[in-house]
Amino acid sequence: MAIAAAGALALTACTSDSGSDSGSDGADSSGDSGSSGSAAGPAKVDMGDVTTNDDTIYYSAGEQEWEAYNADTSATNSTYNAVVMDQILEGFVYFGTDGSIQQNEDFGSYEVTSEDPFTVEYTIADDAAWSDGTPITSNDFLLQWASSNPEALGIAGDDAIFDPVSDSFGVYVPDGPETEVDSKTFTLTYPTPYPDWEILLTSPHPSHIVESEAGMEAGELAQAILDKDGEALGDAAEFWNDGWIFGDKTLPDPALTPSSGPYTLDGATWNSPESLTLVPNESYYGTAPATGELVFRFVAPEAQVQALQNGDLNVVEPQATVDTVQQIEAMGDQFTLEVGDTLTWEHLDFNFADGTTFAEDEGGLAAREAFAMCVPRQQIIDNLIAPINEEAVVMNARETFPFYDNYEDIVSASYDGRYDEVDIEGAAAKLEESGLSTPVDVRIGYSAPNQRRSDEVAAITSSCNEAGFNILDEGDPDFFSAGGPLETANYDVALFAWAGSGQKASGEPIYSTGGGQNFGNYSNEEVDAAWDTLAASSDEEVALEQVKIIEKLLWDDLYGIPVFAHPGVVAYDSSISNVIFNSTQTGIPWNAEQWVRAE
Amino acid sequence: MLQFVLRRIAISALVLWAGSVLLYFLVVNSGDPLDELRQSQATNREQQMAALTERMNLDEPWYVRYGMWLGGASKCLILACDLGVDRGGSDVNTAIVAAMGSSLRLVTLATVIAIVLGVAMGVLSAIRQYTAFDYTVTFVAFVFFSLPVFWAAVLLKQYGAIEFNNWIADPSVSLVTTLLIAIFFGLFASAIAGGDTRRRGLTFGITAVILFAFITIFDAIDWWVQPALGPGLVLLLSAIAMSFFLMLTTGLRDKKVLITGGVTLAVGLVVYFVIQPVLEEPNWWLILALAASTIVVGGVLGYFIGGFEKRAAMTVGIGTALSFGFYTFFDKLLTNWGGYLDIAGRPISTIGSGTPNFGGNFYETIWDWSTQLLLPTIVLTIISLASYSRYTRGSMLETLQQDYMRTARSKGVSERVLNTRHALRNALIPITTIVAFDFANLIGGAVVTERVFGWTGMGALFQAGLDAVDPNPVMAFYLVTGTAAVVMNMLADIAYASLDPRIRR
Repeated sequence: MAIAAAGALALTACTSDSGSDSGSDGADSSGDSGSSGSAAGPAKVDMGDVTTNDDTIYYSAGEQEWEAYNADTSATNSTYNAVVMDQILEGFVYFGTDGSIQQNEDFGSYEVTSEDPFTVEYTIADDAAWSDGTPITSNDFLLQWASSNPEALGIAGDDAIFDPVSDSFGVYVPDGPETEVDSKTFTLTYPTPYPDWEILLTSPHPSHIVESEAGMEAGELAQAILDKDGEALGDAAEFWNDGWIFGDKTLPDPALTPSSGPYTLDGATWNSPESLTLVPNESYYGTAPATGELVFRFVAPEAQVQALQNGDLNVVEPQATVDTVQQIEAMGDQFTLEVGDTLTWEHLDFNFADGTTFAEDEGGLAAREAFAMCVPRQQIIDNLIAPINEEAVVMNARETFPFYDNYEDIVSASYDGRYDEVDIEGAAAKLEESGLSTPVDVRIGYSAPNQRRSDEVAAITSSCNEAGFNILDEGDPDFFSAGGPLETANYDVALFAWAGSGQKASGEPIYSTGGGQNFGNYSNEEVDAAWDTLAASSDEEVALEQVKIIEKLLWDDLYGIPVFAHPGVVAYDSSISNVIFNSTQTGIPWNAEQWVRAE
Repeated sequence: MLQFVLRRIAISALVLWAGSVLLYFLVVNSGDPLDELRQSQATNREQQMAALTERMNLDEPWYVRYGMWLGGASKCLILACDLGVDRGGSDVNTAIVAAMGSSLRLVTLATVIAIVLGVAMGVLSAIRQYTAFDYTVTFVAFVFFSLPVFWAAVLLKQYGAIEFNNWIADPSVSLVTTLLIAIFFGLFASAIAGGDTRRRGLTFGITAVILFAFITIFDAIDWWVQPALGPGLVLLLSAIAMSFFLMLTTGLRDKKVLITGGVTLAVGLVVYFVIQPVLEEPNWWLILALAASTIVVGGVLGYFIGGFEKRAAMTVGIGTALSFGFYTFFDKLLTNWGGYLDIAGRPISTIGSGTPNFGGNFYETIWDWSTQLLLPTIVLTIISLASYSRYTRGSMLETLQQDYMRTARSKGVSERVLNTRHALRNALIPITTIVAFDFANLIGGAVVTERVFGWTGMGALFQAGLDAVDPNPVMAFYLVTGTAAVVMNMLADIAYASLDPRIRR
């Protein structure tokens, strides 16, 4: 199953909260298990004063290896690069365990100073500095802005010189950060409000390195960007694009890759293609990492469980299958298993294209309701998901997840539970009302081979065929291909999953009229209007209100039926503390610098 | 001959080219490289797709993309290969070189062991045709041959790595286990030895008792965590090696050859004590130099003592000297096992080709390599063991029935000489073809083994490329394995011609 890499904006760095009220007994919190904290809130626990030990922890994010210091280019934006760079580069925010946005106070702070125009003032902490001693300043954020090819620099569109994965910064903040060279503060002004403003800035890259590699004087790069002199940035862009990709699989001169996070590449070892070992950043301004060496091993998921048992890996995220869960459970108390939901969610989407079964000119809403009534969602979860994650529930929303705080609020406002129970008689009645002649053929399309989805279709078949449907399993290896069933709307119901991005407005292309990912050609002016309102506001309350409206309309019109959030599995050596399952885009290493093995 | 080689090269090049077109077409059409992005909810999805389209030239038809690849790959002819970049923008040249190194390390040892063991099993089961031993070898060979690799690998990891590591933490062998091992190997030895009931019973008894004694003693002195051979065992094992070489050459009938062996052992024993300080912190060049001088000493001894049987004496001398050298080195290696255990904790790993950031001495590094190589090597060995043993057995049986064998036997040539000199040599000729071909096969064929053991070799490269619908790595894989197969086949043909005088025309 293809799970999309989370978007660039999701790849924010993480760190521990500032240790302002560090433990009173600093002497014994020398990085042993005594400093472990229970994850009471979504943010990182306060570790107090940490002395880095000389232990080693092995972790694997999969078999693909790390290869770039700059994971923000379109060529390098992968979870494999991001998972490593998250330990090395930091920014203003990170995702909490519940997906909420947390301020990283060690790095700096920000506050909204004006609502109209929407203005945010950022302050970088005075002691925040690169591991080579250069302070982290607005220069680094000026470079980040320039790297999104903004119009103002004359490098947008066909003239683009940078190769970024995202151009949002330049689009939403067209005038760039208002600041001076080498300043610790800067201000961003949004001509149109942007709901995802908090995660617009990613962890910055060191502009002084780009500057010297481009043959510029200190401050020259930042000044050129402030002067909106796009022409001066050619060499800098070239280095930004290619200079931090290590195609020859050897670590570069450490002077090129300073760290702003708990771990660093200076002194690291890279045994391509098997492992990368990070070492602590001695001059880190935040709480020091608890464990001396963090080793990323590049191991295929199916080999991870035995590797965990043999101590070759200490923290793993294997495939979430029933077999894996049973295997880990059978390994005994020495290993801890945690299961939960991920940000990828399964759904059944109707096709609204004229002439298809559920379109308005054929079966219409009644037929869609009939289908929704007979889909055995609870049974699918009981049979396919609960054996992995006992706590799994039927998902009744699209723009939030059952493990989010706002889930109950949104669901209660948008959905009355009418499809919770399978109602064959009701479905048969609705089908009759739709005017379609039974049995009604329903082609369920999905990307095959995928055993779980085949099983889901089988469950739907046995239930819905009783109500007068004739379900056709149309799993197709080319389902997502260009010209495949999804793109050409050659299906009645599409079964697939979206990977959540952590952005508020990311659903717009899916549900609004003519949206790029609105494969079923759904159209509702009220939904479009609600999205417009949401996308043009940076107010949490407005966003919540509009999501409720959207969800209600999508339920009433039956855009589709959400089914469940994909389960995720994490297992680790029980002697390691502070490993916390979470549903964020960064995955389990979101707090890797806090992992520590008991003595 | 030259014309033959040239024609072979021309045909092979044509085959390689046609194969590359077909493979490229198949890979490009095997799926949708943008599949993952189509499911992404990220706002910059279109940009990511556009970037990937540009990097992989997805907007061009497959034959244009093939042309681009061929343009770069054909530069290999002038030794300036350009195999392009993969989906992520990494250089495929670098990746393929690293992958080849990794695969060769994995495959070479397994192939050598499989050949040696397979040929030995085949010869023995041919000589002992239709005995219990023959049937057992046949049965075991077929079981191994039909083992699913991933399943065997998972079981090996469970028992060879996880359970072994648990055991080595506090090693002890129970009485029952000791007895079982002794009985098993006793039966094995008696089956090989053959002969009448009395002889087989004796072989069984002696082997079982010796093994039982060794295991009990080893257990008592905690040999498992602080092993060593010591001069006694080194001498004993070298003497066994000497008798093996004697058996292959003159047997016991030539006193001078026998004396050569004895003198070599004596010299070896002296050198064993002298060399100890030198072996404390050696390097590979030193080891190679020592091996070379060992060969010289063995050869010289054979030359001067051997008399009329110079060649046989030199074979025995060199063989015995090398064995002595090897056991001396192995003894040193064993004494470092304890140090390695201290560093590694759980010595046998389930993944990877080395402990990350391993910092041990010369011997401990060798241990690190070998413990990591152990499991995949076993898997690769047992799956190719079957074919070698079966081919050797068949070829050996055929040779044994030849007219010249009957003639030799009627002249009074002993069974030993008959089997080793006349039968084995001729039986090995067809095996060379299989060996060459198998080697080429193994370079690319370890896909599953590599994946299960987390080795990123050629197989991983191929699989990752195919999964991502990324033609460049797949084509690089094809280029290497295809060329290897063609070259190896050609070498086999040439070797065949030079080994077998009958077809040397």
